[in-house]
Amino acid sequence: MNRAPLIFLGVFLALAFSWTGIVLTNQVAYGNLTPIYDDAEEKIFPEATPGVAQRGQLVYQDLGCIYCHTQQVRRLGYGSDIERGWGERQSVPRDYIREKRVLLGTMRTGPDLRNIGARQADSTWHLLHLYDPQITSQGSVMPPYRFLFEMRKIVGEASPDAMNLPSSYVDGTPLPPHSVPTEGYELVPTERAKSLVAYLINLKDTYAYPETFNVFPEEEAEAEQSEAPAEEGH
Amino acid sequence: MASALRIAQSLDPSTSPTSVSRAELSEIDASTKAPALFFLISSVLWLLAGTAFALISSFKMHTPEFLGDYEWLTFGRVRTAHLNTVIYGWSVNAAFAVAFWLMARLSRSVLRHPTLLFVAGAFWNIGVSIGIFGILRGDSTSIEWLEMPSYVTPLLFVAYALIGAWAIITFRFGKSKHIYVSQWYILAALFWFPWLYSIAQIMMIFEPARGTVQALVNWWFAHNILGLWFTPIGLAAVYYFLPKVLGKPIHSYYLSVLGFWSLAFFYNWAGVHHLIGGPVPAWVLSAGIAASFMMVVPVIVTSINHHMTMVGSFSALKYSPTLRFIVFGAVSYTLTSLQGSSMAIRSWSEVTHFTHYTIGHAHWGMYAFFTMVMFGSIYYIMPRLMLKEWPSAALISTHFWATSIGIIIYVAALSIGGVLQGLALNDVENYPVFMDIVELTKKYLLSRSYAGILITVGHLAFAVNFAWMLIAPRAKSSTAPTLFRNPSSMVITR
Amino acid sequence: MSDDNYKKSDPKIEQAAASDEQIQEVHSVLLREKSEPSEGYSPIPLLLLGFVSTMIFVVSIYFIHNRGGFTSGIGEAAMIYDERFDPKLHRPDTGVVKVVDPMVVGKRTYAQVCAACHQINGAGVPNGFPPLVDSHWVTGSEERVVRILLHGLSGPVEVNGNVYNGIMPAFGAGSAYNWDDAKIVYVLTYIRNEWGNEATAITPEQVTAIREADGARSTAMSADELLALP
Repeated sequence: MNRAPLIFLGVFLALAFSWTGIVLTNQVAYGNLTPIYDDAEEKIFPEATPGVAQRGQLVYQDLGCIYCHTQQVRRLGYGSDIERGWGERQSVPRDYIREKRVLLGTMRTGPDLRNIGARQADSTWHLLHLYDPQITSQGSVMPPYRFLFEMRKIVGEASPDAMNLPSSYVDGTPLPPHSVPTEGYELVPTERAKSLVAYLINLKDTYAYPETFNVFPEEEAEAEQSEAPAEEGH
Repeated sequence: MASALRIAQSLDPSTSPTSVSRAELSEIDASTKAPALFFLISSVLWLLAGTAFALISSFKMHTPEFLGDYEWLTFGRVRTAHLNTVIYGWSVNAAFAVAFWLMARLSRSVLRHPTLLFVAGAFWNIGVSIGIFGILRGDSTSIEWLEMPSYVTPLLFVAYALIGAWAIITFRFGKSKHIYVSQWYILAALFWFPWLYSIAQIMMIFEPARGTVQALVNWWFAHNILGLWFTPIGLAAVYYFLPKVLGKPIHSYYLSVLGFWSLAFFYNWAGVHHLIGGPVPAWVLSAGIAASFMMVVPVIVTSINHHMTMVGSFSALKYSPTLRFIVFGAVSYTLTSLQGSSMAIRSWSEVTHFTHYTIGHAHWGMYAFFTMVMFGSIYYIMPRLMLKEWPSAALISTHFWATSIGIIIYVAALSIGGVLQGLALNDVENYPVFMDIVELTKKYLLSRSYAGILITVGHLAFAVNFAWMLIAPRAKSSTAPTLFRNPSSMVITR
Repeated sequence: MSDDNYKKSDPKIEQAAASDEQIQEVHSVLLREKSEPSEGYSPIPLLLLGFVSTMIFVVSIYFIHNRGGFTSGIGEAAMIYDERFDPKLHRPDTGVVKVVDPMVVGKRTYAQVCAACHQINGAGVPNGFPPLVDSHWVTGSEERVVRILLHGLSGPVEVNGNVYNGIMPAFGAGSAYNWDDAKIVYVLTYIRNEWGNEATAITPEQVTAIREADGARSTAMSADELLALP
């Protein structure tokens, strides 16, 4: 008996099953989510991403930041993302609809970055951290991105972008001589570094969409309890 | 097949049926020689490149200043280059060679126009090379398992389509009436891969879906590459080489059937467990978790089938390199799959998700299972293609012990480190500072590098033996197989 | 056998030129191998079938319990990210303001934002960032501490006998952080009452009043300016 056609049919149906269930169904169900207009704030959420931040996302992609940083906040009660201050609420699909490439990530060698713009909005900090992570976070295993910066001779006036490096790390060891500009030189971030930082600072999901309240009621009760004892008047 | 009969007659005047089939096999093996060798040589070269990338990225994990000033070798790129070389370079090339060779033998069909395959293989390898180059220069798409820039997609797709079609033609024109279990797996894998690959390319790169639908497509693709491409090829090899080396039938046809269909229907839903807790509808995740759990069925069924085949022949492991690698792989398959199912449990995923534990699991599956099975297969196939023996038993032995001990240390280090990391991440009270968690994992990352060095030693032993075999002259008289040790009474074929 | 035969890759040519004995030698690899694999027909153990049925049952129950609104249609289910969600139990956002403990919420914010410089133990970094422990800037005048957070602080500042010269970023309106009153209240109340510090809690009314009094200020405060305040 030739069973080949039967095997092929089964093999086809097997994958068709999950293709329909996981891919097609969800494409239909929420593949065309739209932004929400908020009457009170007279704004559309999620807000449009500025061009420089979009360029920054490309730098984020090409350097492979996704392999150590996630961009998703899990709900209260599942993991400790919210307790850690990585966000004020869980991430929902509508947060991502403006992004051409969704970079959820699967690894937290470093902290989640979905709301990095809300907790570290200082671009100087980000530039220092990218230039040499040991300056701002000694002990980190993040690689340095010195190649995103340019050591150049000062011609005429010094650049307003010139980096102001500290003389030593937090523990007192001096910065290696090759990473500090010598007399007559200055260290400036390249366009890529600046757009990457602009992207990071732009990362924040602050608006609460209606669906962010679709949680199990016990969850809210637990959350209230964990934040008790309540004190009136604050 | 007239020529086969002719050789058979020349072998033995009485022309037993066995010798006819031997002569037929000889002709089939010879027809696969050029393309199979091409794929195998490419795969070994990619293995070496992938190992180098792996070592660099592993060192960077605990010593970030290591090669820190080279943009092309920054962690995010070199790690990606490692994944893509070992997956699309080493594993896929090896899978092609093994799948073809098995398909031709089991279908009892000589490979027609092998040159065409050769061309397709060349396209594939050129595509992968350009892709890796693209990743290193900064064109990575940052889509996990699909990082190669979109300009190599057409090249890879055409190469694949040609190779897949060829295997199916080989099957179609085969003389065998019976379809052996290995063939089901290979046929299914060949059919699934292009479907997964094209949908993923379209919905993520060429016409990206909106929002987190992309994430669903991503993990539907990425996990199915493992489950519906590498796993079937690996299992096909186990199903062939276990009975082949032992010289006895597979325990149960019915178990094979059950194992195959339960894998086909459950595995392809499991991938979304990579998004547990993420911003995708809760019901998809629950379905994925349910399917991951159902994967216990094919795994248990398959391992019972393999185990019952092995029972009574465990002493053969002392001699046959092929058998030892294959059995190591088959046992790893069972263990890593059960681990995978457990990782889909929500409360366990809460700890292990986003940690090094997952990396350990991935290597247990791709290395300890798939790669080890491929090594075992290559040890069997090469002497049939080259009609000569492996030059050094010591090198095979080094290869086995270095890689098997290496991967065990690797998985153990990352599993322990990953669980500690995950527990700390969820414990804000005791670990409010993120740097303390990083500190916690460092020694495990360092152990991983040591394991990596050991695995590299194994790979070098393998590569040297492989190259030596290619250039060594053929023995003048009939030869004995290169075994770990010489059996005293029983006769073992590789 | 001559070497020529081996160089030719075409098996047919090789075969044609070879004698019986030679073929036997060349194919010794093949001749010794066992026969092609075949299948036995042992039946599936009943226990295994029972196990498979149990798995299907358990997994179905799991899905039903964690379907997250799947039964109300895939469109609705696509908006539900909590697997335990149940429409019968669900109450939509009622607009009730949760009462929270500022020491808990404040600590969370402090650990994530402020601790990068002032450290988790509030001790700061010598010659880098001033300590918050036992500092009169923190536990003293409410007018000052609120303004430091709202507008930032730059220039030399003396804390417990040491002079620090850095930049404290602004967190108020118009800054990159743009914190609301509640967040400011939580963090300030926290740092005023942690590590042995003891001071009154800051109220939202105080913050609002200072915001209104100062209007839109875009420059950081200086130490002298602050000391002039009550």
